[in-house]
Amino acid sequence: MTSPIYSFDGVTGGYGGGIVVNDVSGCVEQGQVLFVLGRNGVGKSTLLHLLFGYLQLIRGSVRFKQMDLVGKKPEEMSSLGITFCPQERVVFGELSVLENLILMRGNRDITHLEGYFEHFPILAERLSQDAGTLSGGERKILSFVRALSEGRELLMLDEPTEGVQRENILHIAQLIRERKKSGATFVIVEQNLELLDEVGDHVLVMDQGKVMISSRKDLISREDIVRHLGV
Amino acid sequence: MDPIAVTIALNIIYEITTLFVIVLGLAIVFGLLKVMNLAHGEFIMVGAYAAYFCQDQGWPYIMAIPFALFIAAILGYLIEFTLIRHLYRRPFDTLLVTWGLSFLLREVIELVYGKGFQSLSNPIPGSIDVLGEPYPSYRALVMVIAILSVLVLWVWYRRSLTGARVKAMVENPELARAVGIRVDNLARHTFVVGTCFGALAGVMLAPLTRVEPFMGLDYILTSFFVLVVGGVGTILGLSSGAGVIGGVQSVVSNLFGETSGYFGVLLIAILFLWLKPNGLISRS
Repeated sequence: MTSPIYSFDGVTGGYGGGIVVNDVSGCVEQGQVLFVLGRNGVGKSTLLHLLFGYLQLIRGSVRFKQMDLVGKKPEEMSSLGITFCPQERVVFGELSVLENLILMRGNRDITHLEGYFEHFPILAERLSQDAGTLSGGERKILSFVRALSEGRELLMLDEPTEGVQRENILHIAQLIRERKKSGATFVIVEQNLELLDEVGDHVLVMDQGKVMISSRKDLISREDIVRHLGV
Repeated sequence: MDPIAVTIALNIIYEITTLFVIVLGLAIVFGLLKVMNLAHGEFIMVGAYAAYFCQDQGWPYIMAIPFALFIAAILGYLIEFTLIRHLYRRPFDTLLVTWGLSFLLREVIELVYGKGFQSLSNPIPGSIDVLGEPYPSYRALVMVIAILSVLVLWVWYRRSLTGARVKAMVENPELARAVGIRVDNLARHTFVVGTCFGALAGVMLAPLTRVEPFMGLDYILTSFFVLVVGGVGTILGLSSGAGVIGGVQSVVSNLFGETSGYFGVLLIAILFLWLKPNGLISRS
């Protein structure tokens, strides 16, 4: 068995010293996707905020490629090879679509983006428009493409398909599959099981801040997952 | 053209452009970092004293610009690092701290140079012809530099990726951190850009005004009026604020004397605070 490239153990913490996430552990191997599932408000986003350094851990450890990530700040993560797409306020609305995509690059060259524009021509059409004029789903797509185009090794996405049309969810899935093949690793928080079916490898189901199920996807039935999502 | 009209027009333009440079640093720091730097006038004062020092040493006046910027940058970094960075998102505390800081800067200058006025000699005496009327060369140069520096700053902010990063930091600091923007450093540099613009204004105005430790108080007061009238966050708002305040002050002073000019400005500011508290043009 290969050792995981990214792992977290006993992660506990929340906002303002409270405990929202309690003793959550998980790991993912290189080139694979870990899905964090659960109903609204069970602590999935809080978990990502703890893992990415927005919130301080009360207890627990986080490791990426033998590196200890505890105490690292969000702005340090990109230089360590990790990026993050938040669930809300996903783009810079006052910047143009193009500026959102090249903000951290040294130049305005966009040849590296052409592959993404084939999947999402809407972005190419609206390059000079303010990102704030896009619809919710289009902003999610822009945020996703922004993260993917940074070329990081680990991508943490908080509900990347929220409000996105089904056709484009399939494009997102295909891009994730391609990136997995080239060795990138994903941690994805989702409510929508479609993306899980398409690209998932591991599943972590949370309820009330705790882990309910932690398993390889092919070892559990969809019914088990759905039962915990409590639809 | 009527010679008096030309002179009055030039004086109004001069009033507005210098006001713009005076308020620019304050507006940058307040608009982007939400820090109301009450010591901004003292940075203008420090710039003016830096210019005085250079002239006193017999250096060419142009040397005052790098020298004043150097001092303002060091002071700015020091102050941001020790005080301001702990107080972002605590507007009242920054008011108190920068107010105290303005006392400190005044006292230090007073210790070194005393309370008295220093006067600088005009680095470019003589006058040039503007529309057939003679106009002091140095004042004309100050106007040109003021307009140029604002234009350059504006174009840079609108067009450069660093400008975009500043906008990103202001709009959504959380996402800015996720994409790898070092918001702490960027905020620090932004603060220093503000203090440097203050010092630059001091260098430009020093030969035209009385240089003394308390000169900053006047500037901070008028700067407030400009922000109140123009609104915060856009160059356009700032221009209209400077236009209204500078224009009123200049016209009323010309017609009824300087005291009336101050009174007119005060009246306008009160009316705006009362009837249009967000200013003429504010960012939604």
